[in-house]
Amino acid sequence: MRKLLYLLPLSLLFFVTACGDDDVQAEETAEVNLNFKATYDGDDFYTENIYKLFEGVDDTDIKFSTFDFFIGNVSLIKNVGEEFEETELLEIDFVSLSFDPGQAAQAEAGVTIQGRKVPAGTYDGIKIGFGVPADLNRTSPSEYGSGDVLSKTSHYWSGWDSYIFAKLEGLADHNGNGVFETSGVEEGFTYHMGTDETFTERTIFQTITLEVDEERTVNLNLDVRKLFRMTLSEYDQDDNDLLDVEDFPGTHTDAELQINKTMMNNFSDAVSLQE
Amino acid sequence: MKELNTALVVTLLLGLLVQCSTTPLDRDLSHLPYTPEPYEVKVPEGFPRLEVPEDNPITKAGVALGQKLFFDPILSADSTMSCVNCHLPYFALTDVEATSVGIDGLRGRRSSMSLLNVAFYNTGLFWDGRSPSLEAQALEPVEDTLELHHKWVDLVPQLREHAEYPALFRAAFGIQNTAEINKELAAKAIAQFERVQISDGRAKFDRVMQGEATFTPDEAAGYDMFFDVTNEFPDAECGHCHNVPLFTTNEYFNNGITAAATPEDFPDPGLGGVTGNPYDMGKFRAPSLRNITLTAPYMHDGRFKTLSEVLDHYNQGGQTSANVSPLIRPLKLSEVEKRQIIAFLHTLTDRKFVNHRR
Repeated sequence: MRKLLYLLPLSLLFFVTACGDDDVQAEETAEVNLNFKATYDGDDFYTENIYKLFEGVDDTDIKFSTFDFFIGNVSLIKNVGEEFEETELLEIDFVSLSFDPGQAAQAEAGVTIQGRKVPAGTYDGIKIGFGVPADLNRTSPSEYGSGDVLSKTSHYWSGWDSYIFAKLEGLADHNGNGVFETSGVEEGFTYHMGTDETFTERTIFQTITLEVDEERTVNLNLDVRKLFRMTLSEYDQDDNDLLDVEDFPGTHTDAELQINKTMMNNFSDAVSLQE
Repeated sequence: MKELNTALVVTLLLGLLVQCSTTPLDRDLSHLPYTPEPYEVKVPEGFPRLEVPEDNPITKAGVALGQKLFFDPILSADSTMSCVNCHLPYFALTDVEATSVGIDGLRGRRSSMSLLNVAFYNTGLFWDGRSPSLEAQALEPVEDTLELHHKWVDLVPQLREHAEYPALFRAAFGIQNTAEINKELAAKAIAQFERVQISDGRAKFDRVMQGEATFTPDEAAGYDMFFDVTNEFPDAECGHCHNVPLFTTNEYFNNGITAAATPEDFPDPGLGGVTGNPYDMGKFRAPSLRNITLTAPYMHDGRFKTLSEVLDHYNQGGQTSANVSPLIRPLKLSEVEKRQIIAFLHTLTDRKFVNHRR
């Protein structure tokens, strides 16, 4: 009889464990991937292609060599009463859209990032963070193995104690001679954005219904041209709501923090959800 | 009968000849010790994680074999040169030539790269990134006609017949027979030796970062410009490609040292020669600047004799060139500021490493 008393708690534990397994097995999930593509004023975006900076407003010829960025704290959102419930898709990843015209197939396909499995059902939208969330931004590349996106020393600026959240680099033919130059002429621009205060979140409200076992790709587009929007008069000396690229070709110093902030904030307007 | 006797003698002699030539190539080694011990690799704090291929763990015997091979002229066709001829420890595992000279007295087209911290080069090796791993890289110089100009097919039998190497290969890799010695194991051993050539993290720069030393005013100014720390000095744009802790970001750039109107105009295509992508033409690996004061001359073709010439190049904004990095721009540095940056570069010198006899 005494032995039976010992067995009783064990039996209860078995049932509790078994119930838990049933719950997990019964959870109905779907897999969500994110696909990123870039355009420049509606055209496919390629590095090394020549665009007008902002046709009709600033017709400077411009070409890019780098466009990449971190995304963090990406989640699906669901309206629950007066609050939003978030279901995390991914904590951090890195998207490089630096495809040249020889890589047209890759540019056309975009960059697809695998998200987590989430409960199937209807969601009211998606929230995307551009940059490295503050908790991860307290770390540095040496803490990660080479396969980890946060191991990139090319995307860490020790002067800021921060990851470089996004890079937009290229050349602009300011003197209009048809040649993109560096020798003796300042035509390069290197916008490197980062620091906690520039982390930008955008919530896009659009019903997303996920069927059980479905693998869904959420397609997101970035209009690179919109990153140049600038309304601060100090950095928009032509008063055309565009960043003055010629006079402010970089974002390193504290004095240029406003450009850094504005460009990261512009990601919010540049991103759109595609059908 | 006489003919039969002659035939027998000939057969016997041939048999003896074959035995003489094959016995050393096919010798049992299983009686020799094989007790692999891990090699303790010291990686300075703040350096990247050391990642070691699963099929080539670093052992004491492996590093010892790799070191012997690295220094042994047996690797060259005429037994006059080895890896060390172009990777001298005193010069931070590089040489003092603009482009290195091989056993035939012919110059290669590129400068010898420092092997310091090469364990962390995870985006391809050589100036053009053509080798994906140290193990793959180590195979190349032996057969390069401008370098050691040997053939593995000839070198491997030399190693198998050698008085010492069979036992060393046995100790390093546990082979049972000399016939198992091959180029892949030799390359693995050399890779192990190269993988442990890591800075000790005690250059002045490191000690300043650890609060154990202070920069001189000139070094501090140079540091400020190198990493664009404050608005007090101009931005020298160095840190983008030469970031901490290795002072390279392991990326490939065209830094504007060659004037080229189109991608086809580069005399040396660099990365583009490997990828075939016209937008990669003229791009080369950004080298580490640790111990840069010891590795003159500079650039992939050794065209700049001094750091002062390097600074002049960057200060000008390089030359107009296809695929040039937008990071290259006129820097507007004064002569004093250029000297201050060079003063900072001297703080990256790790004398303890170069003087250490490995």
